[in-house]
Parts: sequence; structure tokens; C-alpha cells
Amino acid sequence: MSNERIKTEEFWNPEHIVEKFWNGLKDGVIYARKCKECGAIEFPPHLACNTCGYHETEWTTLTGKGVLKSFVFTGVLNARLELEDRGLKYVCGEVQLDEGPDINAVVLGINKKKAREIEDKLPVRVRPVFYDMGRYTTLFFELDE
Amino acid sequence: MLTNVKLNKNMRSVSIVGIGATPFFNGVENPTYKGLTNGELFGHAALDAMADAGVEPRDVQYFFHGSANPHVLNHCITPNLQVADWFGMRGKGSISHSEGCCTGYIALEEAVFAVASGAYDIVLSGCSEQGTGMPDGNTPAFMRVPLTSEVLFPDLDSIFDRAYGRYLGGGPGMNHDDWINYYAKENHLSKETIDDVLAHQAYDFRRAAALCPRAIRRKTYDEMAKEAGYDDVWEYMRSSNNPKMTQYLRTSSDSCVADGAAACIVVPTEMAKEFTDKPVKVLGIGASVLDAIVPHLEKKATAEAARQVFELTGLTADDIDLLYVNDFIGSSAFLAAEEIGYLPKGEGWKYVLDGRIAYDGDKPMNTNGGRTSYGHAFGASGMADIFEAVTQMRGEAGERQVKKLPKRTFLRGFGGAQNVRAIILESDF
Repeated sequence: MSNERIKTEEFWNPEHIVEKFWNGLKDGVIYARKCKECGAIEFPPHLACNTCGYHETEWTTLTGKGVLKSFVFTGVLNARLELEDRGLKYVCGEVQLDEGPDINAVVLGINKKKAREIEDKLPVRVRPVFYDMGRYTTLFFELDE
Repeated sequence: MLTNVKLNKNMRSVSIVGIGATPFFNGVENPTYKGLTNGELFGHAALDAMADAGVEPRDVQYFFHGSANPHVLNHCITPNLQVADWFGMRGKGSISHSEGCCTGYIALEEAVFAVASGAYDIVLSGCSEQGTGMPDGNTPAFMRVPLTSEVLFPDLDSIFDRAYGRYLGGGPGMNHDDWINYYAKENHLSKETIDDVLAHQAYDFRRAAALCPRAIRRKTYDEMAKEAGYDDVWEYMRSSNNPKMTQYLRTSSDSCVADGAAACIVVPTEMAKEFTDKPVKVLGIGASVLDAIVPHLEKKATAEAARQVFELTGLTADDIDLLYVNDFIGSSAFLAAEEIGYLPKGEGWKYVLDGRIAYDGDKPMNTNGGRTSYGHAFGASGMADIFEAVTQMRGEAGERQVKKLPKRTFLRGFGGAQNVRAIILESDF
């Protein structure tokens, strides 16, 4: 009788969403989820939709292109140590992707001089940077000039 | 984000009838307090709250223990059971909770739920944190060493979503300056004006802390400027004596880490007068939570939590006499005041410059000095604000008593990147 029992993995075998996202970045692919009811893009990907509260989403991919709407430089209190250690010039800012999602992101290559140039031109176009952090690849952005 | 939550009235109205608090202090440097442990701090605050309510430990039925980071700061993941024996509650029910720097405000929400539901009549909710130090290895709790930045800084990241946001990086980096940057652009304010506004705010909060015996920083900026050789305090505030810590925030707008504990006793409102002549009713608590990856999260969550509690109570910001904002990010104070409606939109900065949010102003805020002067014992800070709010509402704040006895007080809890609570208290006497 015990041989006929359903195996746990047969009734609960979920997708590994976080793992797929980070592995996607390694391959230069940005995975997101799309709400099956309202169509909103859930990024980064989760199980349900945070725009309308519907329970089901499906896979989609994003271009990683969008606009930088606002940004700040960091100081000793809020520096991103993993970026400082690599000697990167960066700001943290609000990036709205062309497909709709709006997130706080890291934008590389902006120094004080560049910041002065773009400050009054916001929003400005950005493109994705798939940045190798060693054990994982993350998603930053840079100006699309 | 969805904004479709409508709060229902609690099954029973709940009132605060007792408050207790230790001072906020540096537990690894101050020789008077060095060696005190979590159980002792929580125990003193709890027993003070019981004494204030006129009850003995035997009378209290259940308690909550709040702490932002019991594991790193105290090598402990079940602090409720580890402190219970200190104040005579061995064997009774209790729970630990931890919501970063919002813990102290959620502590009140938890206690209110416990009494409002009818499950308990006399509940203690306390919070304790020893933010300045950490255990000295695997030793008894009185042996502590200073918390090093090597331990603290990487651990601070544990408040950010580990699945995504922490490693995408933008949220943690935006945490401090997102809102003030947005506000400066929206209102066309120069960086010099913002600097001036934040300096005035810190200056007035310190004036209040100087009059608050439980505050950790009590030396006024006038005194500090004089000692540093400045005749003009504002020049001092702009100097390298007060360095920039972020793009906008100087040291004076950064929280001062502390050790400390605070507690309150809550009971059904219908029983409150049995315990005190001056009960304070909890009218409602709004709640909103957003992870740091969401742009302008503090503004959004503050607006949503405030909307909920105003809708529940039928009150508006015009009905509020006193405001507390958890301002470990200094700029949060006047920004949240605007978002709530306590200060007019786009004009809060002028109120700050005119000193109107000071304890002796007409729109008083953070009368204990807030996180930048009263101190920041992470999970205990919110309960310390509740202690101060009730003290002010009773008219017992001494030299820092606000001019008009507050009938209603609003507290904006915030923390853990980020939980937000919006609490309205009303004096019931």
C-alpha cells in the first residue's frame, strides 16, 4: 500500500523563482512576472501581483531599458560597501523600466560632474548592466547616451 | 501598492494606564550603567510601568517583549522567556517580536490587539535594546564590549530583502536621502536651504533633550558651538564639527545609538479609571509596510498608514496637538509631519526654520528630542516615544511641557526598511 502513496514532490514541486531570476542575469536575461488578470509587470518576480492583488502571474522578460527619475549619492552612512570595495562610481536612484515597474536601483558611471549635467534633464534614459559580483551576477544600470 | 484596507473598530476600546522607561544611555562607556543586562533593563521598565498603573506583577496576565536585534546584540532569540523571571511573570504567557526600529510602536499595536480581542484585561508591552554593545564572546550577559562597525554595518543590511533588493543595491542606498531629495526637488529648495532646515530641526530637538533627564544627548548646540570656538551656532552646524554623513544628512541629523527600555500597561478603557486618574485611550493604529526597493517608500507608507487611522477615527490632522516621528533619519521628522498633514504641504521647512516644531512652539514634535538627541535604542525607541507622549498628555513633562496640554497625539512609527505605524492617542480625563 505504501508504494501507491503519492510522493510529496508530485503534489508540491514549485518553480524556483529567485534562483531563476539570478541565473537569468548571469545569461543577460531579465526575468519578471506578468499578472494574468491586470497584466501589470511584477519586478523583481514574485508569486502574486502587487499591483491589483490577483494571485497568479506568469513569466515574462524585460529589456532592462528605462529612465532614471531621481538619484542620490551615498555617504559614509549609506555607502554600498560592495561597490565601494570595487572602486565603482555610482548613484542610487529611482529607475522606471519601459515595461512599467519602478524600483530603487544602482546606476553606474555617474560622478559629480555628470550628475550636474543630467540633474535638470531628468528623467534620462538608462540601459542595463549585468555586473559580475563573483558568486552571482546582479543588475545595475548606466546612462544610455 | 493597494490602498484598500479599511480598519474596523476594535471589539473593546483599549487605554494606556501605566508607563515606565529607563534613560537611554551608552551601556559600554557609562560606568554607572555598564554591566546592566537585558533582563534588568526590561525588568526596571516593566516594574516602573506596573507601579505607575498601581498593579503588582501578579496582576499582569500577559506580556510582549520587543527588540530590534536580540540575536546580534544579545545572543538571544527568545528574549521574552529570558526576561520573564526578572519582573515576577514566570510561567505566564508572553511573546517576542522584532520589527527593526518600528518595534516599539508595534509593541503597542500587539498589546492593543490582545486586550481589544477580549483575551486579556491587563497586558504589559515592553521593549528593550542594548544598541551600543554586543556580548563579549560566550560569557554571562553583564560582560559586553562595544559594537564595532565591522559587525554593525554588514548586519544592518539584514533589514533589506535578501531575495532581491539587498543585492540589486538601490534600496539600501536610497534609504536615507530618498525623501529629502524628492522634497527638495518638488519644492525647489537649494541644498543650502535643506542644510539650514535640518540644522534648525536638530537644534530645537536638542533644546528639548537638554530638558529631558532620560535623553542621552543633553548638551545644547549653543554650548557645543561655544566649546568649539564658534560665536555663531549655525556656522558651527555647517562646519566640519558636524560632518556630512550622507548627501543631505549631517551628524546632527543622524541617530545616536543607545541602550534603554520602556514599557506600558494597557487595559480595557472601561476599566482604565480603576488604575489611574489619567488614562490615555488608543483611538486607532494604521499600518503599512514597504520594502526598500520601492521608490519613495517612506512617503507612501506614511501616507497610507495615516489615511487608515484618520478614516477609522474620523479625525483630521487639525485634531492633533502633538506629533512624534521616529526620525533616526533626521529629515523624516518634518517630512512625515507634512505627509500626515500636521504641517502644511510644501511649507514644513518654513515651520522648522521658525522654530514652530520645537517643544515650545505651536506645532510641537518629538518633545523628548527624537532619535538624534533622545537617542536610538532601536527596538525600544518607539515605546520611549509612547512614554513621552503619555507624559506630555498628563501634563507631567516639567520644563519641556508643551504649551497647550495635548488632547490628541499622533505617533508615526518607522523602521526595519520599513514598517510604518500611525497611532492616535487621546487623553480620557
